[in-house]
Amino acid sequence: MKASLSVDLHKLAKFVNLSLPVLSVLFFFAGLHLSFYFHFATVTFLLLTVINLFYLRVQRSHALLGNFGIIGQARYMMESIGPELRQYFFANDTEERPFNRNERAEVYRKAKNVDSAASFGSQQNFDEFELKLRHTMFPVAKSELQPFSLTLGEERGIANAYTLSSPFMISAMSYGALGEKAVRSLSRGAKKTGILMNTGEGGYPKYHLEEGGNLIFQIGTAKFGVRTPEGHLDEAKLKEVCAKDQIKMIEIKLSQGAKPGKGGMLPKEKITQEISELRGVPLGKDVISPPSHVECTSPEATVEFIKRIQEISQLPVGIKLCLGRPEEFEELVEAMIKRQSFPDWITVDGSEGGTGAAPKAFLDSVGIPIYPALKIVGDILKKHNVRDRLKVFAGGKLISPARQIMAFCLGADAIYTARGFMLALGCIQALECGNNTCPVGITTHDPSLQRGLDIEQKANRVCNYVHALEHDLRELLSATGCRSVREFNEEHLFIPKGTILSSLYTKNTLAPVSS
Amino acid sequence: MNKLSTILSWVFQIVAAAILAQTLYFKFSGHPESVKLFSELGMEPHGRVLIGILELVAVLLLIRPTSAIWGAILSVGVMSGAIIGHFTHLGWDGERGQLGMLAVLVFVASLAVLAIRRKTIPFLKSVFDENVPVEAPVEEE
Ligand SMILES: Cc1cc2nc3c(=O)[nH]c(=O)nc-3n(C[C@H](O)[C@H](O)[C@H](O)COP(=O)(O)O)c2cc1C
Repeated sequence: MKASLSVDLHKLAKFVNLSLPVLSVLFFFAGLHLSFYFHFATVTFLLLTVINLFYLRVQRSHALLGNFGIIGQARYMMESIGPELRQYFFANDTEERPFNRNERAEVYRKAKNVDSAASFGSQQNFDEFELKLRHTMFPVAKSELQPFSLTLGEERGIANAYTLSSPFMISAMSYGALGEKAVRSLSRGAKKTGILMNTGEGGYPKYHLEEGGNLIFQIGTAKFGVRTPEGHLDEAKLKEVCAKDQIKMIEIKLSQGAKPGKGGMLPKEKITQEISELRGVPLGKDVISPPSHVECTSPEATVEFIKRIQEISQLPVGIKLCLGRPEEFEELVEAMIKRQSFPDWITVDGSEGGTGAAPKAFLDSVGIPIYPALKIVGDILKKHNVRDRLKVFAGGKLISPARQIMAFCLGADAIYTARGFMLALGCIQALECGNNTCPVGITTHDPSLQRGLDIEQKANRVCNYVHALEHDLRELLSATGCRSVREFNEEHLFIPKGTILSSLYTKNTLAPVSS
Repeated sequence: MNKLSTILSWVFQIVAAAILAQTLYFKFSGHPESVKLFSELGMEPHGRVLIGILELVAVLLLIRPTSAIWGAILSVGVMSGAIIGHFTHLGWDGERGQLGMLAVLVFVASLAVLAIRRKTIPFLKSVFDENVPVEAPVEEE
């Protein structure tokens, strides 16, 4: 553009800075001689003049405001509404993160029981690096599909072995990260569909229990709900929790995808009377969540700890981890084999995992993503001939059938999703989970923000979402010629060269690598 | 905000709101003195009602904790107008002077509320962020 036509913002700012006091004076005289009503403008411009002077002469914290005055404020105002504008208008349907509009819309439609068929064509990039599913020429009839069934704890022959009748589960989200109404909605929804809900590390699952859903109780590194004052395991409390009929399984969280290897701190300001009771922590003192369980100092000690929980609880017990170093995971598996003591399942959380709050470096850059992680875990388990001994749950943006199916093919036995269910509850991806300001009342304790969340409505959404996922899964089973999820394997995948996943395959292990 | 400044802010809010509220009756009921005043300003009757409504809104905003800051802003604006009026049209003699001083009092009280709650003033608040160097991280357990 020709320089003479462009807007010189510095000049504009100087002009504004001069006009504010001049206008104040002009309006003052208009008010004096024409009509007193002009003083509405006098007062307004006087206030603006004062603020402007303050920006230019007094405050030191913003260089932009110091140089340009009030007009520089426009930049901050525009920037602050940027995320909304982008989400509403400018970002295209496949652009946003962590979930783009297409992905979110699919969950919303499923949750509302609206047909999610699309027309004309896919929005995905073909000829790119996307995984695809390889179907068969000879689909199996729906009537031949076997109902899903996965039993945990049977290998140990415990009386409380638990059988999943749906491959979908609500991944760990604590009461604390979620508000009361969100927890109630999820638990009620879980009850309606018969799926399991993970309590997260929020301590005693009071509201989960009240709504009647079946639960996986999670033991976090701070052992909230089952801890001694020093943060060790309180066996009596654990027994008490396990005695509840609704608690079907126990999950020991070793790490989570959004912040593997990171502990946390619960600041004393957040410890209300209720949180203190549910989590078993004292009032008025910061509580540290260590980065790992104090008991788990080595692979052997970890196996020992898992065994101890199994013995106390008499329930199926699993571990949750985000894969970091495959060698270490292999050592853990070797320790299990050496002691002949196994957890009943392993939850592999991909590094794309969600969280209420985590430092950005951890969110963005620590841990292995779910597809390669599943592949690596599967290979290690197969190498040691324990693939059948250990069930694998997978989580990490597995919110839609397309991604879930890939996880099944890579070795998952069942699917966890946290954010999928949040979307089903009406999450609009405002990215406010850590601020207590969730605009749809899910990750907030503010009653005025939870007001809009209707538990019964949302429980039905959860229910619809699960049923739609099950429906799509059956369609995909049939299309691939599989009768059950167990029959899915890597052979069903088309893995383009150049993807992270393809780099894990050597030439002769997998035909499907396009070559 | 600590406890003391919270209490202080409430004292100023109540003072401002009480004075404003007490003059509302005269404005809305069309008390002869009030009518006379606004006639001199050339705003009778619409201006009287309009100002009355603005003051009523300011009172309501001032007595709710989450909106007090907005109430203070509005009240500063309306009182600025009133003070201008006293200087240019109404004068400060006798009873007029008392009324004028009340306006000044409300103005000052509202400014005090703004000063105490400066960290919540819309748009301006980030300017008041404290700028202190963060301490080097200490070892957690
Ligand atoms: C609001 C929120 C709270 C969470 N709280 C926990 C928790 O307490 N314990 C845990 O192991 N994982 C927690 N997670 C991680 C999820 O369980 C899950 O592993 C992760 O979000 C990946 O699944 P997704 O991609 O389907 O969301 C939380 C996630 C979210 C979004």
